[in-house]
Amino acid sequence: MKLTDLTSIGLIDTELNGSTRDEIIDELIEKLDAEGALKSKRKFKKAILKREKEGSTGIGFSIAIPHGKSKAVESPKVAFGIKREGVDWNSMDGDPAKLVFMIAVPEESAGNEHLKILQMLSRKLMDETFREQLVNVGSAEEALGLLGEIE
Amino acid sequence: MKKILAITSCPNGIAHTYMAAENLQKAAKKLDVEMKVETQGSIGVENEFTAQEIEEADGIIIAADKGVDKSRFANKVLLETGVQDGIRKPEELIQQILDGKVSVFKGEMKSVDEHKKEMKSKQNPIYKHLMNGVSYMIPFVVVGGLLIALALAIGGTPTESGLQIEEGSIWETILDVGAAAFGFMVPILAGFIAMSIADRPGLAPGMIGGFIAANGSFYGSPEAGAGFLGGIAAGFIAGYIAKWIKSWNVPKMIQPIMPILVIPLLASIGVAVIFIFVIGAPIAGIFNGLTTWLAGMQGTSAIVLAIILGAMIAFDMGGPVNKVAFMFGAAMVAEGNIGIMGPIAVAICIPPLGMGLATLLNKRKYEKPEQEGGKAALAMGMVGITEGAIPFAAKDPLRVIPSLMVGSIVGAVIAMLAGVGNNVPHGGPVVAAFGAINGVVMFFVAIIIGTLVTAFMVNALKKNVAQ
Repeated sequence: MKLTDLTSIGLIDTELNGSTRDEIIDELIEKLDAEGALKSKRKFKKAILKREKEGSTGIGFSIAIPHGKSKAVESPKVAFGIKREGVDWNSMDGDPAKLVFMIAVPEESAGNEHLKILQMLSRKLMDETFREQLVNVGSAEEALGLLGEIE
Repeated sequence: MKKILAITSCPNGIAHTYMAAENLQKAAKKLDVEMKVETQGSIGVENEFTAQEIEEADGIIIAADKGVDKSRFANKVLLETGVQDGIRKPEELIQQILDGKVSVFKGEMKSVDEHKKEMKSKQNPIYKHLMNGVSYMIPFVVVGGLLIALALAIGGTPTESGLQIEEGSIWETILDVGAAAFGFMVPILAGFIAMSIADRPGLAPGMIGGFIAANGSFYGSPEAGAGFLGGIAAGFIAGYIAKWIKSWNVPKMIQPIMPILVIPLLASIGVAVIFIFVIGAPIAGIFNGLTTWLAGMQGTSAIVLAIILGAMIAFDMGGPVNKVAFMFGAAMVAEGNIGIMGPIAVAICIPPLGMGLATLLNKRKYEKPEQEGGKAALAMGMVGITEGAIPFAAKDPLRVIPSLMVGSIVGAVIAMLAGVGNNVPHGGPVVAAFGAINGVVMFFVAIIIGTLVTAFMVNALKKNVAQ
């Protein structure tokens, strides 16, 4: 399995419109829903916000990874958006988030290959060069190409 | 090369766990440290440490926002922090261990102790107060009981009104000293229950309340006080009144005299009023009512009577209910019917004998002082001092009192059926030694069976104590 099995052009937005955390969360949820990843937008959003309440997923390094594990998820998917100006995500280092990965994971699912891929994504994001490359992509296709490196 | 282990974990176990793992590994590489990271994520535990790895490690980092079992890391240098620190400042964490700034985890032994302490503080407060009272009372019961036993066994002569000791003899003095110790029993119990509730200002009101409880003449029941059950009530009443007064907001000027004057005085008056006017009258009423009721029981089935008498004797051990039964038996002796006092004499000694035997049979269910108290209870049982079982009953009434009652009922019924008679209003094997018992063999059979019943029942009901 590759990360590209969990995402697609339709789930990538290199120019997010939203200017607040909640707007961006809504934007990415719309994308996941459009790709048929969700059973219930409302319930999934609840799971996302619950996780944010436990501690911001803005982990610094300009990254935020809002994620929800919920019954409202049909199949595991990752949506990715870029906000070059950055958006406040209550992150640990106070830096705004520029790269936002929204991860949707079903409550129960057969196998854990998707979890392994997400683990690889998480590890890869700790690589500064990789982050630089992502922030500077010109198109969704280019971004997808970079994410395709993760397997 | 230094070896460091790390565990990372986060609430969902999807992202942070692995980010922290990744960064810790990178930082270790940079600092030239050998690092293994165990990830506890939604995939499950990966990269689990072996016992040897833990043994060889110079230190362990736990970067987790989720509970991680630390029992494996006893006596290891252990740094605990949030998963964010693992992501954000992994080098700092490793450096802290390298610099020897991290302390050694004492292991689960300590946390078990802490756990116990926690349990104790959460323990039912009622039970804690009761325990405190009982622990101070035990020596008084033991001293009093043993002295009285000694005086009766050696200096006593059986008469129609009980075991009599020759006036002016050394045995009378010993008996009086023992009686003095017994006299403190209920006040001490009540006093230290109250002290456990309200600290030092509770002691005086508790003891005064206990004294009132033990002396029925305060509330028109001169024949019988409220016994140890009354003492427990008095202790709690006094303690909570004192605690309540302590919580008052008083002017600064009065504060210094609160604990020595205001609280003890008001709480003593409070417990006295409540005991004399609210509790005392019903107790006197119970006493009179039971006496009349029991008198009316004459002529009913002998077995029913034996059941009632056995239950009453064991219920409050020297309290009003016990006294009623005992005095009924004594009155019957005076009328020439010795067949009632026989079963009563059996029932009298079963509670202390049963508890004494119980402590010998299973030490794990009794704390050290209780085990000692058990031996004293055996001695008291031999001479018919039911009070020997009071410390056990006061501490754990709901399990102990029913066991005592069942044992005494069984003993009394056997004695009644076998027609055991007793010429002397007193109980226990000592009466047989004085030759006052008709049907000595069945008398002992009844005592032994009742004692066994009590001992096995109470041990079946009681839980092991934490040593």
